[in-house]
Amino acid sequence: MKKLRQFILVIIAVIVLSSCTKDRYSPIDEHVSLAATVNIKDMTITFIDLEKKTRMVDWEMKKPYTGAVILPDGDSLLLYGKQVETVDLYSLKSGSLIDSWETGKGIVNGKLLKTSSTIALVDQNLSEIRFFDFEGVEQWEVRTERNPLTILESEANQKLFVLSFNKEILTVIDLNKQEKLNGFPIHPSAAGAWLIENRNEIWIGGHGAGAEIEKNIHVYDSQSGEFKRNIAAPLMPVNFLGYADHVFVLSHGTSMLYKLNENGEVLESVIVGANPFEMIVRTDQLLIAGYDSNDLHIIQPDSLERMKTIPVGNGPFQIVLRER
Amino acid sequence: MKRLTSSLTRKLWLTIIAAIVVTILYSYFLSYFFYEKLYVENVETALLEEGRRLALEYEGGPLSDDLKERIDWYSSKSETEIFIVNNPRELSACLPFDIDYESLISGEEREDLLAGKAVQKLGYEERFDRKIMAVVIPLLDENRLEGIIYLYIPLTKISEVTTDFAYLWLIAAILFLVLAIFLGTFLVRKLTKPLLEMKHAAGMVSKGDYSVRINNHSKDEVGQLALAFNHMATSIQKEDERKKEFLANVSHELRTPVSYVKGYSNALLTGIANSEDASKHLMLIYREAGRMERLVGDLLDLSRLDSDDYQIIMHPLPLAQLIEDAIQKYLPKIKEKNLQFRYELDPDIIINGDEGRLEQVLQNILDNAICYTEKGSIHLKLFAIEKGCCIEIVDSGIGIPADHLDKIKQRFYRVNKARTRKDGGTGLGLAIAEQLVILHGGSLIINSTIGKGTTIQIHLPVLE
Repeated sequence: MKKLRQFILVIIAVIVLSSCTKDRYSPIDEHVSLAATVNIKDMTITFIDLEKKTRMVDWEMKKPYTGAVILPDGDSLLLYGKQVETVDLYSLKSGSLIDSWETGKGIVNGKLLKTSSTIALVDQNLSEIRFFDFEGVEQWEVRTERNPLTILESEANQKLFVLSFNKEILTVIDLNKQEKLNGFPIHPSAAGAWLIENRNEIWIGGHGAGAEIEKNIHVYDSQSGEFKRNIAAPLMPVNFLGYADHVFVLSHGTSMLYKLNENGEVLESVIVGANPFEMIVRTDQLLIAGYDSNDLHIIQPDSLERMKTIPVGNGPFQIVLRER
Repeated sequence: MKRLTSSLTRKLWLTIIAAIVVTILYSYFLSYFFYEKLYVENVETALLEEGRRLALEYEGGPLSDDLKERIDWYSSKSETEIFIVNNPRELSACLPFDIDYESLISGEEREDLLAGKAVQKLGYEERFDRKIMAVVIPLLDENRLEGIIYLYIPLTKISEVTTDFAYLWLIAAILFLVLAIFLGTFLVRKLTKPLLEMKHAAGMVSKGDYSVRINNHSKDEVGQLALAFNHMATSIQKEDERKKEFLANVSHELRTPVSYVKGYSNALLTGIANSEDASKHLMLIYREAGRMERLVGDLLDLSRLDSDDYQIIMHPLPLAQLIEDAIQKYLPKIKEKNLQFRYELDPDIIINGDEGRLEQVLQNILDNAICYTEKGSIHLKLFAIEKGCCIEIVDSGIGIPADHLDKIKQRFYRVNKARTRKDGGTGLGLAIAEQLVILHGGSLIINSTIGKGTTIQIHLPVLE
């Protein structure tokens, strides 16, 4: 009888302790430069050591996060998802949940603004861009067209460009005045954009409307909104990056990475992964996540040579970086 | 419902029809189910194989126009609708972006295709606005889903086949049902006809017509019942005839002495007869009265013997002694007829019996022996046999014709139907004798040759 009581006590203790560690994940060494991929098919986050180019650890999340931002402290991993009620902050070094911001559902994108210590969250349920400080206090918000998704910051002009999926209008927000400026009409189903500030050009990609597939990058004047030209980059250019006077464009329909000069001439192209959506750059390295191939490709930006392919969780949809 | 099931014919008919209908429906649904299942599976497998063969044409990289043309050409020749798709939108490549577009394949299906698995679909497809059966074969270049081959056939084609089948089935089922109803009705009639006949025949019997018979030669239970009924009717008829004959016999037997008595007494009363004749007439009246008394006595005995409460009082007795005593009464009579008489008796035989009744048996038999033997001898023996003892009475009388032998023990049965006074007994003697012997646990056997004589054996059990 005494043994039984002890046994029951041990069981209860195990249950209580395990419930305490529910939201605790493997801690990440705070001195490592890393990339983290948010994998939406299996709801994991894969951490990759960028020096060793190896997969460090996977966190199996309990909520369907679709994206992440690493705050300037280099430790707080902010996670959001359209179906998640809160924006959750995890400490990388402790592996535990440190804060939850009550935002409600609908957050599909987030970006640290370079012009202020603010984070811009894209809320599709409210059709708003919501600006938060790092404490999770909402500072202000701007109403946009229906289903905003891509946001792009112009440091020079202190503006935020917002692409809406369903409305053929580019919304422009003045970050200084904290107000919406006049937008201008663009092509349908736009996604992914890049600013070439010295030429006053905004390059906008997309998926294409209905059965139509987007084959081109549409170039508009970033001031007047005037359509300038198309640059062929089939199929479905959705991600853009500028690095060393070149623009890198990722077309997920053909799994193609294009390297263009600022005049819009395609210099090189290469097939990377399968159905890649996400691309990020660091010094001499382009990181590209293959959504269908469940891997992260490290590409040399000059030659477009593949340096390494690292398997990650299923459906990598976003990459975030932390440099040390 | 009560009216419906009130007759056996209806019950049987309803049972047969219900069984047939249930069988038809059951087999219909079962075969329909299997037919469709097997056919659909077969079509699905064929589509899958066709798709895989076509997929072999793909050699990697983006889908070439040549391949598309070849697939189009093949589709135009094939009964199956086949098309090749490389539009990433249709392949759900933009899925995480929540694009408002009903793509050809879903996200889950895309996962299967990416894993190299073919996808099978069955049901309504909004794209084609109809029910289809489809097979989707992935065209993979490493892990990139470059395209798919989509093969489908409208389900109406399949259901057309099953509908045709169903019509054929329905026609065959109706024909079968009609045939089965006819056959069933015929069968039920055939089964119940003898029963109706029996009911009718039983009615006739109860009305007194015992000659009715059922004409059924089948060997089944109904046939056996008909046979049993016929047996019963025959028995009743025989019994009835025997009863009638018995009554006729009794009245006949009584009428003869009664007419004698009436005639002679009339003569005496009217004074027609002189004194000499008068004493003769009185003698005749007396004799006939005695005969009536015997007859009535015998009838009384018989009716007692027939009833269950007739009792014989058994006690051990030496049979030889009993026989010897009985013989003494007949010796004068035998001498009178000038017959030779011998007897051999085993004195050791002791039986358990009723003295009076056994004497009656002997009397009846000896009466007959003396009566029907004009000259010659009568020989009586008592001896032990294996199962008891035997009293054998052998005479050299007129004998009994062979065709009368088996009936001679029946009541009032006589070889000489004329019933002359000379040889006319009551016709009950042997019947009574046999009943008594049977009551003693024995048997009475009669053997006879016409003109040579009769041998009667009485077998009786002895006291151990």
